[in-house]
Amino acid sequence: MIEITIDEKKVSVETGTTVLEAARSAGIEIPTLCAHEGLVREGSCRLCSVEVTERGKTKLVMSCMYPVTREGLEVRTDTDRVRSARRFVLQMLADRNPKAPVLQALCSRYGVVPNVPENVEPELCIRCGRCVRACETNGTSALSFAGRGWEREVTPPFHEAPGDCVGCLSCAEVCPTGRITWEEKDGKRSIWGRTFDLVVCDRCREAYATAEQLRHAGTDPETARLCPRCRKTAQQERIRLGNRGV
Amino acid sequence: MEKVLLISPERCIGCGSCEMACSIEKEGEFRPAVSRISVHRFEGGQNVPMACLQCEDAACMAACKTGALSRNEDGVVAVDKARCIGCRMCVMACPFGNISYSRVTKTAFKCDQCGGDPECVKWCPTKAIEFLPADTVNLQRKRAFSATMAKALEEVKG
Repeated sequence: MIEITIDEKKVSVETGTTVLEAARSAGIEIPTLCAHEGLVREGSCRLCSVEVTERGKTKLVMSCMYPVTREGLEVRTDTDRVRSARRFVLQMLADRNPKAPVLQALCSRYGVVPNVPENVEPELCIRCGRCVRACETNGTSALSFAGRGWEREVTPPFHEAPGDCVGCLSCAEVCPTGRITWEEKDGKRSIWGRTFDLVVCDRCREAYATAEQLRHAGTDPETARLCPRCRKTAQQERIRLGNRGV
Repeated sequence: MEKVLLISPERCIGCGSCEMACSIEKEGEFRPAVSRISVHRFEGGQNVPMACLQCEDAACMAACKTGALSRNEDGVVAVDKARCIGCRMCVMACPFGNISYSRVTKTAFKCDQCGGDPECVKWCPTKAIEFLPADTVNLQRKRAFSATMAKALEEVKG
């Protein structure tokens, strides 16, 4: 364990813990958009900057990517420099994505007013890459970044319906701005331009999952015939039968 | 000592107190649909409460890629909400339908035995749900229970 100071508060953490995790464990909140505890860190949103002082030098670092390795590290999460860095990042994100609720909330907290340039079409994607990392973590890698600079975007390969997608929707679930949308109707689920036929439960006839999703989860084919709710009922029936000594 | 949740369906009167206790504890509302335990009421007054079995070889845990599901020191398969990415692979994998996904919180949820003090047990009026030390006697009871279930499964399949 290493002892460090965050905003004058003494915090003990394991070597290698990031400053962000250390701060959270001490109840100190640092704003983030791209960090997700289930995914590898990428440091792409640049919002979680903090000031660290180590061996007499003070610098601005991304708290989600900065591991604590030395005793006595001093962290400040709310200095003028930190606030100004966050405002700068927020301004750029909000200028391009003025309607993202999560950005609107942060803007009002930091006193930033979105100012969309005339030639810019408002968007919702902040290029944080959570969706890309979620898909990769899930072992599907159906999404990635393409293009550079302003043109950089998240897309399935060649802007085509992704063959590797299993329709699990985790990309949409981890998206902080609600950019990724999907639709489910008439026994079909559509996302990223691909439409999946949903598997129908043998018992209640509810369309409950994509076949790809079930295969990817390694679901036993016998189990997959029923939706989760009916699996439970089936199990309860078995218990009842077993209890009657069948 | 580690404890196990033991269910005796023959004692269950189908009152649903466990579902109420669970949903108010976990979600702050009386709503069986979000309860981690559910009772199926069969005809003839036969009722079967059912919650996560905390499987030794848990399919949900094997399907989770982010480490959001892990076994804690009490032997319970626990959900770390912060790590859940909403892929629902655990829900797909569980053969018993004992883990669910909430579109509201965007995370999976299941029975966590209330961190060692299950509400369902406290409110069950007939001791149909018990929380007992995982000693030899109780483990034998749990195994016997699983064996009857396995036998019934064979009957159904056969």
